[in-house]
Amino acid sequence: MSAHRPAYVALAALLVAAAALLVVELGLGATHYGSSKLADPCRPRAFAGSGLDATVQRVVLDGIDGAACRLGTSREQFVLSLASGAGYPPRRWNRHTIEVALRAGMLAAVDDAAQRGEIPDFLATILRGAIRSAPLDQLIRGAVTLGNLFGG
Amino acid sequence: MLVAAAVAIAFADSSIVVLALPQLYGQLHTSIQGVAWVVTAYNAAVAVTALALIVLVHRFHGGIVLAVGLVVFLAASIACALAGSLSFLVAVRAVQGVGAALLLAGSLPVLASLTGSAARGAAMWTIAGTFGAALGPALGGVLTQAFDWRAIFAFQAPVAALGLVGALRAHVDPVAEEGYTPRLSRSLPANVCLGLVFGALVGVLFLSVLMVITVWGHSPIGGAAIVSVLPAATLAVRPLESRLPRITAVQGGAALLVGGLLGLALLPSTNVVFVIWALALCGAGLGLTVPVLSNAALDLGAGLTRSGTLTIGVRHLGLVLALASIAPLLAHSLPSAGDRALLRATAVMLDAPVSLGKKIPIALDLRGAFHQARDGQRPDLSKPFESHGAATDPNVAAARDDVINAIESTITRAFRPAFVLCAAFAAVALGLAYFLRRRLLG
Repeated sequence: MSAHRPAYVALAALLVAAAALLVVELGLGATHYGSSKLADPCRPRAFAGSGLDATVQRVVLDGIDGAACRLGTSREQFVLSLASGAGYPPRRWNRHTIEVALRAGMLAAVDDAAQRGEIPDFLATILRGAIRSAPLDQLIRGAVTLGNLFGG
Repeated sequence: MLVAAAVAIAFADSSIVVLALPQLYGQLHTSIQGVAWVVTAYNAAVAVTALALIVLVHRFHGGIVLAVGLVVFLAASIACALAGSLSFLVAVRAVQGVGAALLLAGSLPVLASLTGSAARGAAMWTIAGTFGAALGPALGGVLTQAFDWRAIFAFQAPVAALGLVGALRAHVDPVAEEGYTPRLSRSLPANVCLGLVFGALVGVLFLSVLMVITVWGHSPIGGAAIVSVLPAATLAVRPLESRLPRITAVQGGAALLVGGLLGLALLPSTNVVFVIWALALCGAGLGLTVPVLSNAALDLGAGLTRSGTLTIGVRHLGLVLALASIAPLLAHSLPSAGDRALLRATAVMLDAPVSLGKKIPIALDLRGAFHQARDGQRPDLSKPFESHGAATDPNVAAARDDVINAIESTITRAFRPAFVLCAAFAAVALGLAYFLRRRLLG
């Protein structure tokens, strides 16, 4: 045993290094690393940022959340289904369904923003009118343009 | 030395093309599953040929078996270097595997003759095989980066030719020749353990390499630098292996393999330090287990050539079984990981501190980039971000980095079940080494 002692010590050091690797990895959040869990669009989301651009972003993203919640999907899948053409995911809903869900989600988001006092009543009224009447493409483009207008 | 170099190359060939797979994939216009056959065909051919040779090989002169093996290996290597299609490359890789099995079986009596004793010949064969197996991916990566994937096979041809010169010069002593002896089953526990260890090594030699270059985007030379820690650690534990009791070396080495493979399964980021740490443990595990198990498997009492042929067959069978178990696992997890990665990338983009005018168009362009990427390839994200000002807008550039990180982490996680499966192979080897400790090493 004494003749093997340095070799045993070296082997023990290697085994400790193996255990240390696993402990460090778990300590750094290995169990959650790469986890693809997406947020529930039906639950309110924390929103960072302030100012007009942040408010516009919040209204649009809350609107998308609301639409996704109505269709029982994630915000991300809903956004990806807005684009036409091939790719993932295949469109699960027809254009009319997407339009109705997006319109309802955006209207609810404008109501919430007005209730929080983030947008003035006159702007809320204008936005509601635009959301009710604009076609889907214009609705998306309009939100993006509005975002550009305030956010650059 | 020339014969030992040929033995090392034949063992290295099991994994030598792994770092070249993306280049092969691009040039031969095929799928990841298609190019995987370049690896599998070789190992399956070695396993089948070696296992078939067990009943025959002792009837032939070792020098002749080695020479025939080297000629076949040499011709097939040249054919591989000249291959113009995947089907031809896979076919000649299988022929190369047949040559490798003959080469490895025939080299044992020749090395025994050249070194003056069966034990010394077996020891040299074992060292060449262990180091060759560990060196394979790094060597292939360097050659691919410096020249082309064809250089891997072009490099092997002169090594085989020099081995042939060594084989023709060697006069195999009759002491190395053998008759039929029925005691081959004595080495079965060591061989089964060796097969399991080689199955576990699929995680090290194939999965980790594939992950580092195809998912993390390292160049073949970068990948080679990372995986070079494997042969370095294998070499570094050589003195330790000879100073430990043999069964302790096997049990400790198998435990290190389990730890290293679990370390690869539980990566917390794409930081290469964790991969190097885990690969160093696996290299040490390889260096402790394989030489001891190989010596036990090369049962001199049962005949050097026959027992050598059995162990060649069993260890390559372990590789093939592990590849066959992991391929469907990856085929199932990688495409769905790609879909999940797109959703995570979209989530990151929508939450990024970027103006609405950019985030939604970029999110939609990401979908196009994913669609254009071929199966198993990283999507090219430069266009969606560059067309929206990544070069001038630091927020867009930061969002791009976060999106890349999200994609890499999601796909890296998809390798987890395969690494765990490889760790399970090593854990079974460890269990075998513990419960059969009295019978394992003869």
